[in-house]
Amino acid sequence: MSRVKPSPFVSAVGAILVLAACGGSTPTGGGLGTGDLLVGVIAPFTGADAGLGPAYYAACLAAAPSINANGGIGGRNVKCEQFDTRGEPADAVPAANKMIASNSNLMAVVGCTSDEAATVAPIIDRAHIPMFCMTGQSEFNKTPLKYFHRLVPADVYDAFAMVGSALFGPGHDPYKKAALVFGDDIGSQAFVAPATNAFTHLGGTIAINQPIHLGASSYRTEVAAMLKAKPDVILTEALGSAGTYLKEVKTQNGGKMIPFIGSSATIDPTWFQQVRDAIGIDDLLKYYGGVDLGYTFSGPAYSEFLANLNAAASTFKDAPKYKQRGSTLHLYDGIIMTALAMVATNSADAKVYNSKILDIANGTSGATVVNTYKDGVAALKAGKSIRFVGAGGENNFDKYNNSQSGYILVGYDKDGNEVTVGHLTPDQTSKLIAAGG
Amino acid sequence: MDLYVAAFGFGLVGMSVIAIAAVGFTMQFGITNMINLAYGEVMISSAYVAYYVNKAGITIWVGMIAGALFGAVFSFLLNRFVYAPFQRKGTSHIGMVIVSLAVSLMIANLLLPIVGYYSVSYQDTTGGLLRAGGIVLTTNQIAIIGVAVVLMLLIHGLLRYTRLGKAMRATAANPTLARNCGIPTQRVIDSVWLITGALCGLAGVVAAMDSDSFAISNGAGFLITALAAAVLGGAGQPYGAMIGAVIIGMITELSAAAWAPEYKEVVAFGILVLVMVLRPQGLLSKRGALAAAG
Repeated sequence: MSRVKPSPFVSAVGAILVLAACGGSTPTGGGLGTGDLLVGVIAPFTGADAGLGPAYYAACLAAAPSINANGGIGGRNVKCEQFDTRGEPADAVPAANKMIASNSNLMAVVGCTSDEAATVAPIIDRAHIPMFCMTGQSEFNKTPLKYFHRLVPADVYDAFAMVGSALFGPGHDPYKKAALVFGDDIGSQAFVAPATNAFTHLGGTIAINQPIHLGASSYRTEVAAMLKAKPDVILTEALGSAGTYLKEVKTQNGGKMIPFIGSSATIDPTWFQQVRDAIGIDDLLKYYGGVDLGYTFSGPAYSEFLANLNAAASTFKDAPKYKQRGSTLHLYDGIIMTALAMVATNSADAKVYNSKILDIANGTSGATVVNTYKDGVAALKAGKSIRFVGAGGENNFDKYNNSQSGYILVGYDKDGNEVTVGHLTPDQTSKLIAAGG
Repeated sequence: MDLYVAAFGFGLVGMSVIAIAAVGFTMQFGITNMINLAYGEVMISSAYVAYYVNKAGITIWVGMIAGALFGAVFSFLLNRFVYAPFQRKGTSHIGMVIVSLAVSLMIANLLLPIVGYYSVSYQDTTGGLLRAGGIVLTTNQIAIIGVAVVLMLLIHGLLRYTRLGKAMRATAANPTLARNCGIPTQRVIDSVWLITGALCGLAGVVAAMDSDSFAISNGAGFLITALAAAVLGGAGQPYGAMIGAVIIGMITELSAAAWAPEYKEVVAFGILVLVMVLRPQGLLSKRGALAAAG
């Protein structure tokens, strides 16, 4: 019986097929390579801030089909994976190291909240992976990290907006005595100093500054102390514990709430549901005021985002809840911008495409405005330069990769949708920034 | 001064919640020799059982009974089908701790897709507000204190004056001798898991009521507080756990009034460490109800 010897051609084809079947990532620096690309979602998925991670994961689940359904990035599909930091810097470091060490195909990282950004951002930067972080910490206002990007203003602006809502918000006289009730985590405490400065310099008084331990089983004594200070309004961000604290306020105050103003992180379906269940929908609608970036929740970019987010319910059933969550919109935009930067540079090497992200976001002279990945790729293939205006609106990165935009004053409707109730005028915003220092 | 009086009142609520949990935990350990680290997860599971009962429009007090029943049955089954087989194979103490830790993680992760990660609240659990001499409590908080007092008295009566209680004490002191004396130790241990499981379930519901808003992640916190009170009082000593609950419950609230509230648990657990340094065996070791019968 004779043995059939394969020809060199057949061997070569076989070898290629075997290599292709392995699905390995082969970025060349001069091309987009092959195999799936990964977006790492590094954020708290457990612990007191467990409500944050899912909002960012939803952003990735919405962005991936926008890219994959339109040819991928040079044929490469985008996938999403969660990396849980538990909201603790000590847990975040091994999570970041594992993410980087285990995945050579990381195209971008999203998440990195104030809980862990200070520890993970330098690690991700050293690995030369573009990141879009949801931290408002002032240490990133002039960061030297080249791969760091921030699509939300620094916390100081969130704090100024909360003070603005207290002093200039519609439907009430200016509040003069505020209680600051912020969680004892790094992110929440970042609001305290700027809020205190802005509020006191504009004539207000801080009745009490009360850091509360997130995750405590009760806040009875804390609330008694706060009520004793007789504030007109509570400025707060205490994610995970808001329901427990505010219910206690209502209980000890004889069933009556005190107006409370939340940071932009309180525009969140988990927060809404928790507080609604604790104090009741009527009190939530009547006494809550929030601040948020000025979103339109309309336009072609938002429509595609919304359609993809709803479709993502098959993978993650809570995804559609994040349809008006600012961070979800922004991170969606961040992933799309990164993908467009890769296409524009024809490179899967982040050292090449990282700097292009700013060009895509800010636009260059004569750039064509695009709102979707599909349109962006088409424009790039036509040889045009582009500016991506996404679901979260325009971006304006400074030289430290920080993008700033204005605030609106918001509330909720009974279904948990964000409702705009007012705006801060440029004059009011200037006063707040000047007072806050 | 008013704030300290109010904090004292809140401390009464806090210590009541802790006492129910800690007494169940310490009895479980004292009689079965099992450090059950899944205790907190059974508590939070029971809290969710009560939540679904309450959500169906049934009063939370019925939900509390449902939670207690669930805790009893779940704990009993946990011992019968998980812990007991390992113990029969001669698994070491530290091995059993690891087993219970694994069970704890399994319960938490199995529960997560069912109940979700977000917080929930019972409906209409506040009750009217009562003020007396600076103390401000709701009627339901007073009811929680009442439930705790009644339960502590029942535990005292059980251990001191019933045949089952005496059998429990004998089993705790020397199971082999107890068995040789004709005490059906297996039935006693089954009863212990049912009773302490019921306390565990009830404690979970009470703790969730007290928190106003709770989530699956609260299970670990429940365990730590119960464990701290039990260790402070002397491991395996129900009366010690009661004293431990009083100390931790009161100090937590009073330190929140006196000092920075974000450090209230630091103060409470700092005192726990101090007591452990001075008296490693706990406050009531060898003197409680489950000590060797003298």
